[in-house]
This record gives sequence, C-alpha cells and structure tokens, in this order.
Amino acid sequence: MTFSSLLAALVLSTLTGCSRAPAHRLDFNQDVQPILASRCFSCHGPDPEMRKANLRLDLAEWAMRKRPNHPDAIVPGHPEKSALVKRIESKDPHFLMPQAARGEAKPLSAGEIAILKEWIREGAVYRPHWAFEVPRRPNVPMLQNAAAWTKTPIDNFILAKLQEVGLRPSPEAEKTALIRRVTLDLTGLLPTPDEVTRFLEDRSPDAYEHVVDGLLERPTFGEQRARYWLDYARYADTYGLHYDNSRDIWPYRDYVIRSFNDNKPFDQFAMEQIAGDLLPMKNLDPLIGSGYERLGVSSNEGGTITEELRVNIARERTEAFGATFMGLTVGCAVCHDHKFDPTTQHDFYSLSAFFNNIDEKPFNEDRPVWAPVLRIPKTENQDAYNRVIAQRSDLQGKLNEMRGNSHELVTRWLTSRNNPPRAVETNGLVLRLRLDEGSGEELRNSAPDANPASFHTTTLKGEWGETTWLWPDFRMQSSTRVLLGQMGDYDANQAFSSGGWFMFRSAPYHPASFGTLVSRMDSTQHDRGWELSAEDGFLSVALVNQMPKEEGQRETKKSKEKGKSEKKVEAKEPFNYPSPQDLSKKDLASNKPPEQKKAEEEAAKKDKAEAKAKAKKSSTKEPPKDTTPTIGLRVVSVTPLPLDGAWKHIFLTYDGSGRASGIKIFVNGNAIATRVVSDNLGKATIRTPAPMQLGWRNPEEHPAKDARYQDVRLYARCLNADEVARLPFEDYTAEVSTHLPSQWTPDQWHVVSEFYLNHVDPSYQAIQSKIAFLDKDLDRLSKGGDLTQVSWEKPSLAYANVLTRGVYTARTERVEADTPHFLPPLPSGESHNRLALAKWTVSSANPLTARVTVNRMWYELFGTGIVETTEDFGIMGQRPTHPELLDWLAVEFRDSGWNIKHMYKLMVMSGVYRQSAKSNPEQLAKDPKNLLLSHGPRFRMDAEMLRDIALQASGLLVENIGGPSAKPYQPPNIWEEVSYPTSDTVRYVQEHGDALYRRSMYTYVKRMASPPNMDTLDAPMRDVVCTRRQRTDTPLQALVTMNDVQWVEAARALAQLVIREAGPDTQKRINRMSEILLAHDAPAPTEAALAASVRQMKEHYAKDPKAARSLVEIGEKKRDASIPQSELAAWTMVASEMLNLDETMNK
Amino acid sequence: MKQHPLCTDCEPPVTPLELPVPRAVKQEWAALETRRRFLGRSGKVLGWAALAGLFGDMGLRIYAEGADAKSPSPALNNALGLPHFAPKAKRAIYLFMSGGPPQMDLFDYKPNLAAQFNEDMPDSIRGNQQLTGMTSGQAHFPVAPSHWPFGQHGQTGTWVSSLLPYSARMVDDLTIIKTTNTDAINHEPAIMLMNTGNMNAGKPCLGAWLAYGLGSMNDNLPTFIVLQTKTNPKENNQPVSSRLWSSGFLSSEFAGVGLRSGADPVLYLADPAGVDHDVRRKMLDTVEEINRQTLAEVGDPETNARISQYEMAFRMQSSVPELIDLSKEPPSTWDLYGPEAKQPGTFAYNCLLARRMAERGVRFTQIYKRGWDVHDNVVGMLPVLCQETDHGAYALVTDLKRRGLLDDTLVIWAGEFGRTVYSQGGLSRDNYGRDHHPRCFTTWMAGGGVRPGITYGETDEYSYNVVKDPVHVRDFNATILHCLGIDHSKFSYKFQGLDQKLTTPVPANVVLGLLA
Repeated sequence: MTFSSLLAALVLSTLTGCSRAPAHRLDFNQDVQPILASRCFSCHGPDPEMRKANLRLDLAEWAMRKRPNHPDAIVPGHPEKSALVKRIESKDPHFLMPQAARGEAKPLSAGEIAILKEWIREGAVYRPHWAFEVPRRPNVPMLQNAAAWTKTPIDNFILAKLQEVGLRPSPEAEKTALIRRVTLDLTGLLPTPDEVTRFLEDRSPDAYEHVVDGLLERPTFGEQRARYWLDYARYADTYGLHYDNSRDIWPYRDYVIRSFNDNKPFDQFAMEQIAGDLLPMKNLDPLIGSGYERLGVSSNEGGTITEELRVNIARERTEAFGATFMGLTVGCAVCHDHKFDPTTQHDFYSLSAFFNNIDEKPFNEDRPVWAPVLRIPKTENQDAYNRVIAQRSDLQGKLNEMRGNSHELVTRWLTSRNNPPRAVETNGLVLRLRLDEGSGEELRNSAPDANPASFHTTTLKGEWGETTWLWPDFRMQSSTRVLLGQMGDYDANQAFSSGGWFMFRSAPYHPASFGTLVSRMDSTQHDRGWELSAEDGFLSVALVNQMPKEEGQRETKKSKEKGKSEKKVEAKEPFNYPSPQDLSKKDLASNKPPEQKKAEEEAAKKDKAEAKAKAKKSSTKEPPKDTTPTIGLRVVSVTPLPLDGAWKHIFLTYDGSGRASGIKIFVNGNAIATRVVSDNLGKATIRTPAPMQLGWRNPEEHPAKDARYQDVRLYARCLNADEVARLPFEDYTAEVSTHLPSQWTPDQWHVVSEFYLNHVDPSYQAIQSKIAFLDKDLDRLSKGGDLTQVSWEKPSLAYANVLTRGVYTARTERVEADTPHFLPPLPSGESHNRLALAKWTVSSANPLTARVTVNRMWYELFGTGIVETTEDFGIMGQRPTHPELLDWLAVEFRDSGWNIKHMYKLMVMSGVYRQSAKSNPEQLAKDPKNLLLSHGPRFRMDAEMLRDIALQASGLLVENIGGPSAKPYQPPNIWEEVSYPTSDTVRYVQEHGDALYRRSMYTYVKRMASPPNMDTLDAPMRDVVCTRRQRTDTPLQALVTMNDVQWVEAARALAQLVIREAGPDTQKRINRMSEILLAHDAPAPTEAALAASVRQMKEHYAKDPKAARSLVEIGEKKRDASIPQSELAAWTMVASEMLNLDETMNK
Repeated sequence: MKQHPLCTDCEPPVTPLELPVPRAVKQEWAALETRRRFLGRSGKVLGWAALAGLFGDMGLRIYAEGADAKSPSPALNNALGLPHFAPKAKRAIYLFMSGGPPQMDLFDYKPNLAAQFNEDMPDSIRGNQQLTGMTSGQAHFPVAPSHWPFGQHGQTGTWVSSLLPYSARMVDDLTIIKTTNTDAINHEPAIMLMNTGNMNAGKPCLGAWLAYGLGSMNDNLPTFIVLQTKTNPKENNQPVSSRLWSSGFLSSEFAGVGLRSGADPVLYLADPAGVDHDVRRKMLDTVEEINRQTLAEVGDPETNARISQYEMAFRMQSSVPELIDLSKEPPSTWDLYGPEAKQPGTFAYNCLLARRMAERGVRFTQIYKRGWDVHDNVVGMLPVLCQETDHGAYALVTDLKRRGLLDDTLVIWAGEFGRTVYSQGGLSRDNYGRDHHPRCFTTWMAGGGVRPGITYGETDEYSYNVVKDPVHVRDFNATILHCLGIDHSKFSYKFQGLDQKLTTPVPANVVLGLLA
C-alpha cells in the first residue's frame, strides 16, 4: 500500500481528523499532533511526574534535544535516523512504542506511522496548538459551480470539504420544514399555522430572510438563547449540597434573556459576568450579571472545614470559567500539571486566584441570600435608582483610578515628607509576635531586646498562610497552644496595654462565640489574672483576684440581652455595598409562593411546639451556685462586633489605677463604649504564676476557636489614644517606609497604599463619604425589591496557593492572580483582578473566546460543533472538522462587534443550514454522523423544547418572561425522598394556574432532585458547566411523553383545540393537528393511520365512558364540557400519538 | 434495558426462567406467564437483533460504528472486551448506609476501651488531622467505649455487637473489612467519593460504570436500579441526591433508575387514568406505523431506535409491576424477612425487592438507608438503626444463598465513613455522640468473588487509625469491579482527553486478601 493510498483510506474511514489530500504538506495540528497527543503524551508530554526517559514530544525544543545515552528521538528530514520511528516500527515487543504499564498499549496503525514518518521527512515542523493561535480570517474557498447552492461564505467552506470527499450537498428543504426548523432554533417554539401559510404564500426572494429577521426580534429569541446559556453558566435555584436550600438568583436568568434580546455585544456580556462589579455602571445589569461567578454549587454542611470550602469554591469557579469562556479543561491541573495541555498547576492556581477574592463567607449559611447580595429596585424606582448608581459608579471609578495609581500617589506622599507616617514609641514594648514566620513552630518575639527571643507552639503547630492581612497569616488549630511564659506578670497597680489583629473563625452552625484572645489568667485559681476576651462579639477586659465559676459568661450574656434591646448599630464595612446586613425577614421571604410560605410557616410552628415540649422535658435542675464573691475589675463593650469574619484590631489599655475606669478597649484604633460590670478589686492582687497565653485561658479553658492572629503586642505601659490609633496601620507603614519602595513586597505595597488612601489622602476619603451617602439613597430606592446574589471584589490582593495534589492543607507556592502562561499575558501595569481577566477574555489577542462561542452557536443549530468537543479545545479535544470556517466565523464575530444576532442570522441564512434533512445511504456510509453536513440537521429536541411545544401546540403555554421560578406538576415525593428534613426545599409545593404552563426554562431547578421529566430527557443537573448535552433515546423518555400529566393534559387541550377549530371532519382535524405540530398537512398514509386510530379509539371510549371521563379530566385546566367525553378522550389519544411521533420530537 | 450489544457474559436473550432458581420459584413465575403474554407478541415486539435484520444494519448503527475510531464510546467498548476475565459475580447489590455507621459499636470490637472511659484520647493518635467543624473546637476528646457488649459468633468466632443479632448469624458468609478508609471528613464529599470515586460532582457512579461496561441481562427491566428506604424522622437523615446514581460523563442511559414505593414504581410508568393496556397498545401501533413512514421518508437511523425504545417502555409497564408484586411470595419468604418486608419502603422490603431483581437479571441494585449520622444520642438511636437494617440484610444474604444466587451475586454493605471513638459533646455513662471519621470504618461484602468468613485489616486500639492492611475507597471499588470480571485499571472512558476511571487518580489495587 502506498503512502497516499494509506492516507486516502484514513480520510474515508474517519472523515474528521486527517482529511488533508495527500498532495498537501502535512498540517501539524490536523494530522500529526492528534497522534502524538493520544499515543505519546501521557509519558512524553507536559506532566513532569509521568515523563519517561526525559523525552518530551509536545515541544519542538524538547523533542529535538540531545539526551545523554539516548539516540535522537527526532532527526528532522531523516525518519530513518529517528529513534522515534524505530521504536514505533519495531517488531520487538519490549522495544516497541507506545508502551503502557501493563503492556496492553496498542501499536500505532500503519496509517499513523506513515504520517509520523512523512512529517519527520518534511522537517518535523512543530506548530503551536491550533486553538492557542489567534484566529486570522482565512480566504473563502473559490469553487466552481457553487453559485447555485452557496448563499453565504460559510457554504464555500462546507462545499469545499464535501467535494474533497466526494459528497454532494442536499437540496434546500421544503419551505414548511425550513420555517419549522428555523423557528424552533431561534425561538424554541413552533411556527403557527398562520405563519407557515404566510411564508408559503410569500414568493419574494427574501421571504425566508423576512422570517428570520422577524424571529430575531421576538422576545422568545432571548429565552431560547438563554436556555442554552444557563447550561453553560450552571444556573440553578438551589445550592446543590447538603441542605440544598433555595438561593435567590433568578434575576440573573432574566438578565441573560434581556441581554440576548437587546443583542448586547458578547464582549460586554462576557465582561459583565466575569467582573460586572468592577465595570462602570449606568444600571444594575453588570452587577446582576456578575452573579455568574456565584452560580456554582456551595455548601453549608455542619462539619465543613472553612478552609477546604474556600479552596473548593475558587476551584469550582476556575473550572467553570475555563469551560464557559475558554473551552479548556483547566480542572485537570488541580492536582498536577495537565497531562496533555500546557496548563500547569501553577497556571491553574494563578487563574483560581482571580476568583478567590470575592467578599463572601465561604459557606452560604443555608440562606437564600448569600452575601454579597443586591436588592433590585422596583420598576417605579428604577430610573431614580439608575441615576444614583451612575453617579456612584463615576465616584467608584475615581476611587479605582486612585487605587490604580496608588504606587505613584504613595511615592509622592513619602517623598513630600508631608504628613509622614509616625511610628509608635517602642518604649515598654516587651512582646511583639508578628506571626509572619509563614511556617514552622517557632514564633519570634520582635520587641526590642526581646527576652525570650522566641516561643514554641505546642501540642499542634498552627496553620500558616491561609489568608493574608498585613502578611500571610497564622491560625491556631484546635489544639495549638502558644505559651508565653512569664510575659504579662503585672499586678493591678501596674499599667499595661495589649492586643493585636484578630480574625475570629466563623463556620456553619457555629456562630462565632469567640473566647480568649490574650490572657494571663488561671481558671484553676478562681480566674485570677487578666484577660482580653470576646463573647458573641462583646469584647471584655477583666483584671481579677477571684471570681465565681460561670460569672464571666453570665455577665456577658446579660450584656448581650442588653445589647439586643438597644438599637443594634452594625458598622458597615467599607466596600460592603451591596450588603445583606439590613435585610429583614420579610425580604428573605419575598420570593416564595404563598402556598409554600404557608406550608413552611405551619411546619415552623410545629417545629417550635416540638422544641418547646422537648425543652420542657429536658429541663433539669440547676447546679448548685458557686458562692465565691467577685473581686476584680471587668468592663464589657456595649455593642457587639459584627460576626462577619473580617480582621479586627483589638486592643486594651490599663492605667494601673486599680479602677475599672482605668480600662479602655479599642477596635481598629478607636475607643469603644464600654460598661462596667465589676469595679471592686480594691487592693487585692491579680498576680498569678500561670503563664500568659494566646487564645486560651490557663490551663485549657475558653478558647477562641481556630482564630487567626497578626502583630500581637504587649506594652508595659498605658498607651494613649493617639498611639493606639496608629497601631493598626500607621505604625507598620512607618516601619515599611524606612525601606526603599523598590524593596517592598506586594503585600507591603498593599498595606501602605490602603493606609495612604483611607487615612492620609483627603480626596479619597471625601469620595468615600459621598459614596456612603449615595448608598443610603440606593438602599431607600430599592426597598422591597427582589434579591439576587452578585460578586463584589475585596480590596485585598488576589492570590492563591498552589496545592499539592489539590489537597487544601498542602499549600505550597503563593501565586498572584494571572492568566495561563501559554496564552497572551495581561497588559503590564494593570491590577491583576477579575476586571483585568474580563478584558483579557474578550481582547483581540485571546485566541479562544470567539472560537469557543461561535462553535457553541454552531452546535446549537447543527447539533454538533465544528469542534465536536465543545467543552475541550485543548490538545485532546477533537480537531475542528472545518478549521478555516471556524476561524472565519470567529473573526467575523469579533469584527462585527461581537454581534450575536448577526452570527445567528449568518448561520441560518446559509445554504448548509437550509438543506433538506433527508439522508441517503451514501451519506450514511461515508459520514454517519453528518459531520460534513451533506444534509440538513435533524435531531431530537432538548427536554425543555419538547415540553414547550406540547404546551404551545395545545394553546396552554403562558408566555410571560422572567420572574421567580415556577413549580409545575411533579410526581409526589421527588424532593422528600432525598432531602435533608430541615431543608427549605424538602417539600415540593406545586403551584397552580399559569405556573403550570410557563416555558420550561422557568421550572424550578433543585440540584439534588432536578425536575424528573426534564432530567429523563437529558437536561443537565446544572452541578457543573454543560456545553454539550447528551442526546439519548430511552424507554423512560417514552414514558414521560406518554404519561406525564403535563403531556396528557396537553394532548387533551390539543384535541379540544382541533375539534373547535377544524369542525367535525376527521380529516380536517388530523390535518389541523399536523399543521400545528409539523407545519404541514398529514400525508395520505399518515392520515390513514391516524384516521384508523380515531375510529378505534372512538369505539373503545364509546364502550367505556368511565375511562373516557377519567382521561379527559386529567390536568388542572378545565376541559371543554361542550365536547362529548368519549369523543374528547378518543381525540386525546390521537393527539398523544401525534405528540409522540418521531417527526414531532425532532426539529 | 436492551441487551447490551457488547454484553458477552450471558446468552441472549436470557429470561428469568433460565436463572439458577429453585424449581418452586420457577413454578411461581410460570403462573405469571399469562400476565406476561404480551411479551410474546411476535411481529410487534421486535428485539434489537430482529430490527437489525429487518432494516439492514441501520438499527445497530449507533453501536456498530465502533470501527470509527473517532467515536468515543463504541471504540472504547470494542477495546474493552468486557468482562476482562470470567467474573465470579454477575450482579451486585449495594446496601448503602448513608451517614456513617459507628464501626466500634458494630463490628470493630475494642474491649480495652472500657477502662479508658472519659479519658482524653492521646493527641498522638489524632496527629495533625483536620477535624470537622463540629468537634474541632472541642477542648477535650474523651474516649467513649461502646455501650453494647460484643459476642463471638459462627464457626469463625467473629466478634459482633449485640445490636446485630441477625448479622451475627451470617458472619461465616461475610467478608468483613475493618480498614476501609476515605479522604473526606464531611458527608457531601465523602458520599460522592464512595459512590463515584471522586469528591466533586460530574463523575459516573459505580452502578453507571457497571451498566456501561457490562450492560443488561434483562430486556424488560432497567440495568441499574436504586431504592430509597423510608426515612425515620427521629434519625439524622443526611440527604442523598440523584448525583449519586448519575451517569456523569457517560451516556445518561446508564444512570440508575429509581424504583419507588407507591403508585408509580418507576416514574411515569403507569398509564394515565382511562388508558388501559389495550388502548396503549393501539396507540403505540399507530405511532410505530407512522414512524416507519418517517423512517422510509427521511432515512434517519435514530427513528429506528425510537421505535424500539417505545416498545421497551411498553414492556416495562408490565415487567416492573410484576417485579414488585409480592403476592406470590411463599410463606417462607415472610418467615425469613419478617413482617416488615410487607410494608413498601422499609429496608426489609427493599432487600426482598433486591433479591427479586437479582433473579430477574438486574445488574446492579443500590439500596439507600439514611440516618446513620449519630452525632449525639448514640445510645438512643443506634438500636433503632440496627433494628431497621439488621434483619433485612441478613434475610437478603440468606435468601440469595438459599436460592443459589449468592454464588454469582456480590452483596456490599458500606457507609461513606466511620465515626470517632471520642465523644462529640457530652459523655456520660448513659450516652455519647460520635463525629465523622474518615481514617477507618467497617464495611462488608458477601457472595460472588469474595472470601467468606474472614475479617480483613486491623485498626489501632482506638479504632482511629489503620495499623494493618488498609483498604482505601479506590481499592474497595477496584475489588468490586474485579469480582464482576473487570480490571479497574483498564476500565476507562475517554472524556476531556483523559482515560477516566472509577478508581483514579492515585493508583488503586484490587485487595487480593478479600478474594475467594
């Protein structure tokens, strides 16, 4: 067999990959790389762990590199000298390549060997992977005799390929088939018989274009496009794990519909979803769109480890971003460098860092609103609201600009020597635990003349670097102890000050109850000593001689009660708009249908009664009271700290007066209001031999569970208020600014910039207060509005840690947010945040976004993408069947201003789209999957479309756009059977009326029990991004479309409709039904079959009126009583037959 | 439900009457023949092969195009050549104890702990383990010895808690694994890992892999069936979700089909009110007639597939009700399973159904029993949980054995993790709680392929760490596949460019010590 006949055979047998005519030079991407990738890369590819013999075949420089003691793998131009060729051709099974661990690897086929040899003979030229090169617009192939068939440049590409393999395109479909196809594709619904008639009667040459233009303007166009996009974006109505509670994010769904209907340019659409919170805003759409980031599954499982959850969320978003916008399986690099693609682990975690910086708790608290949440103003307030949001956006833009320039501003400030940062005098500083060691068990004391100079953690070492504040942090694990020995050995007549930066652990079901922060107190000696602690957010300082057991707790509980009765003022953190803090219960309930609310209220009442009964039962005798009298000082803050998991600088000063009035508590440098609980120390001592401790009271009491610490200090003097005010940032800024800025770390730049902007630069602060003022307006104008989850960037640096094998505790290198190394870099000088990522995604240098997107459009219309693996454009993904066409479309898309409607129009106007779907044996033999498109697309419609057309055909469909998700018919116990008993989605409360007949895209999606009729028909669970649905054919599907009440009711309604519209004549009725569902009259044999069925069914139901009655009463819509029951029942069955026809179910 | 075209381990078409079942049972089925007469409607119900014969090879095209190397699933199927070797088990039944049963109260006997009541478990035992958010803040980790006495049972003298009197009777048939261990410490990731081999969503579960790899042994029933046990509201019922029986990236036809207690055992199975079998048959005849016209006109092979799927749906409408009709079960069944088995949705009822499915050639049955998440009140709840499950599990294994089915059926009993020896929350002489524990937990298998009457692996004296013969979830799954004739390392599916397996990413091993 000659080489060219080998190649030709290959072309015919696969029709996808190696479709080059042998006369052409080989194309590395099309012909060679797929063989190397699938047969060689797993041992000789990018993953260093798996690499054998130090040979790497995915990069030219590696493949040609000399390796000691190895013959040259590839000698360009000389296959006979190349070891690679010898190995793949060898007859010796031990020498033959490829090899696999168990020796079951298949040898290369003769065709594959021929290609590799030819490629080496031609010079072994490597090309970058096709999808990573920026697409350029290729020339449209010039063809002879093409004019009759080609209608758009698309067709030239298709026809050229068909001619190459000797297939002919099919003629244009009949007009009826065409209007049905294009209407279904563009709107997800059927053309009405009137529309069909109008089209048939319109003999003008642009009749079809008129239809297309009309369809593109329908609101149902946006719905149909959104239906696909919601798969790409993994939209659902619940969180998807554990309780699987409801979430408020349906406004995102409506935003998507709106965006498609407004023909929003795709670049803007993409940017809003990736970073809408960072874009300038004229209305709320960008912010609503940013909900995309937060659509993934999330958990609030009771035992969840916060750090694990945080890592999982960033990972989920990264994988989703990769799938939605890049068409890459980046998730493969979670544990190791990608085995085939150049995505390294470093790339993965750098990319994940972009998504690691959203201002949210890692757990969703099982509330429908998981902050950050936006409240959307009601329609009547929208204009006023938008005016304010535009102003706010302008101001925010100025702030962002200043942040962007902060390096310059800071440098100018420091060189001006105007208002320089002032350090706090170090006199009296005896202990300073910076806790910036980053690893290990030794904690340095960086006070001047420190003695001792360091301390050891005991029992269990702390966790380092999980989050960053001034620097990567330190967390005490549940059994970490930091014993500080004889530090803090003061009596009540000595002044001292202590505190530092703290972040309290906040975890599901464990509302931070806090505990001891710093302490030298002995619980075995009636709590003698001193301590700074917190209880449910109430800060407390105690200097104690003796105290009865439980006193501390009782006191704080009392103050908590008191705190509640006072008006609770929770300081809003900066950068926290939109904030969920002020949502009332009513707000939270606003999205639920009244039936559900009622059911829930009743359930809640029952639970309450049960709890009460239980409490009554379990109430036991109180333990005997400890009669130890209280001797000591104790002050407690009047208001609690918000339990928001943010870093707080907490500090105490004591003047040595022996009086409670000598104690002050500061938060973030400001003195807070306190209340005196005890003031009767007198002359009694507070000295104790127990050691000073971080996070615990001696010996092992009252821990601040898993709290994080930075820069903890102890001064043997009473700091004044001005000094304490400088402690949180200014002191450290002063320290950093003694070094040259060129030596600063990014973290130091960040801290100094934050200090400069928030405390030094008056203009920045002025803008902030203006924004705070506008936020009040926004709050007011959005009262009572719907809620939706959005993204909101934290001001901190976006970073992540590379995790060994993806294990959340195995943190290694700390990486900055960045794009994968093998794709174009971010422009220099830009902040590495989601905004930069968003711009990068749609930049003209990005090779993937446009290709991936047009490919999905193609998939939606033709059933298969030009790249069949719509989810994978990487090296292991399928090669495009028409690479030039894909690039042409991608460039056209970009050059059109990312015009979505333009692209759909272009595709549906093409000759290839308009072909008849009929296939012949030659086509089936040569191209069974119709990848080359020698005939028009024909495939089973998606679940939602099948249900929608059944509702539409029967006149039941309610076409309202948007709003809270609907709960139509569902078999009993679908939710109950699997849900957590206290989940807010444990009971499915079916709605009535219009909700039963809305388009299926509005059906409520509970991730852990998705709507079963949709699920059976391959609707994805929306757990992960789905860019390509399965299209199976199972008996369970037949059961749905025959027996689901939704379809049975639709059949009955369709029967009523034709009986009313077509009069008594059977033939007319059948034809009407056919027109409605199939857009054409029933052909004679079909009509005969149906007419026979009508007779049979009539006969049957005439004999059994009871059965007839049962059948026609199915469904909540009242039947037409004027039609005799047996007649209606018979026609209901005939309508059901029609709804179940293969032709009906295919587009 | 169709005969899998690549299924090689059974002679097509197998009928329930050809299964190795005692004569009395076969007679019982024979009595049902009349109700299944429609199955014999030749000319109407065309088998897959017959269809292919009538329409050239079009009917088979979607499967036969394995020659096309670009088409992932058929090409792989060809390459798989499943089963890889003669299987010991042809089918499996998985009793999934969701929530995490406490191993030291059931099978992992630790007599020395009684002396350490309320003493802190040494820190060295726990090491640097990250605990769940529920106990990580606990200042102390007091040892809670099991409240129940253990006794030795069977020829093997295996120690079993007094909570499991029935299981104790069958220890000689069980292969008890004390050293099963997992990577996850919370339910959601752990239950995913156990069922799909991966903590994150999107991967196929064990049952889907088996359905994909081995196909069906029965034309009229689903290949993979899932049964939920009715929940007991007193128990802490952690949720389960269809994700656990989903087909992930495999074709969705391989997903588990829920068999429900109630009017519609399979969703949408029942014809609507007013439609009887006769009407349904007529309706299907008309639909088929018109679909054949469409096929002739358009020439789309998928139309063929649709015609046969509608016929299979019709057959299921009878085979499933027959499956769940227990009226013909002999009195001996009720003696064995107990009266609870008559109530749909109980664990015993589900076990009985599982036996009936095994007889009828269902490849994989998974029964979920929730409620094992005993964070507190172990003394109050554990007897309830055991009472609910002990009898049914025993009856199932015994019944399979009695009918000669245990030889080629693998029964598996497992949760997603174990529980801590230290008490969560307060410990008293009367009660305690136990938190999640991934480092060791007890599971058992019985039947085809595994060695009966052994206890495998050893844990330390706190039932906290494995000291000998660990069995990671991946090894556990690899061993199950092995029993069914599958080499887990070769059993893969190309997705996202990778050979995806049930047992990745760290290499897994078949645990030879468990095999018969």
